Amino acid sequence: MGVTKEQVESSLTSKLKPLHLEVIDTSGGCGASFVIEIVSEQFEGKRLLERHRIVNAALEEEMKQIHALSIKKALTPEQWKQQQEAEKSKSDA
Amino acid sequence: MARFLSSNALLKAIATLPAARSNRNVIGSFYQNGLRYSTVPSDPDTHDDFRPTNKVQDSAAVSFKDVVEQDVKENPVMIYMKGVPDFPQCGFSSLAVRVLKHYNIPLSARNILEDPELKSAVKAFSHWPTFPQIFIKGEFIGGSDIILNMHQNGELKEKLKDISGSPKPE
Repeated sequence: MGVTKEQVESSLTSKLKPLHLEVIDTSGGCGASFVIEIVSEQFEGKRLLERHRIVNAALEEEMKQIHALSIKKALTPEQWKQQQEAEKSKSDA
Repeated sequence: MARFLSSNALLKAIATLPAARSNRNVIGSFYQNGLRYSTVPSDPDTHDDFRPTNKVQDSAAVSFKDVVEQDVKENPVMIYMKGVPDFPQCGFSSLAVRVLKHYNIPLSARNILEDPELKSAVKAFSHWPTFPQIFIKGEFIGGSDIILNMHQNGELKEKLKDISGSPKPE
């Protein structure tokens, strides 16, 4: 039995206290493949590799059944704000 | 069919681009020793004399951890992937190879689908759960998301700038 999107979300929410979290099940329902966007203060001062490690560690149990985990974004709240603003100004232009 | 694919992939197990690297033979022979044969040993029509033996595999007991250590030390850009660079068997591995091929660098690869023990050794070595895994100059870089990100923000170019396409004089 695979992992549900809700399980992934609840593990990440309880462990990383994300400001923004988006989990997309890309497995077509079997629960083996997810795409994640996450914004957390715990990423502060950490480079991308370490941020991915934090996410992987938070999902240690789930990873046993997940084949593909793509972390599209792992941002600090500050970076997230900047990106939101950049996108906004792009769409305004 | 499966055997054909398997041995064909073995030949390409380490695909160094461009070719000439001194450690090629070492790795090549190692892989031959690691070959799994599909002969059924309990076949009543066979005699013990014809039973497959693989002395080297038994005696050498090569530690896969050592293999990984040597790989990342000797190959400036090393990728552990599903499939081979010219025929990736997973979208993420394919993406990572495509990114790396943008740069004029020698790319060394191993197919972890060929060997479950190698696969677990690499995971244990990097403490990273998924594939592909990319190492540059002995340093663990990450998977496909990270390599793509570094390609986009210019970090990868910086990392690879002193690795040239031609083999370095020893």
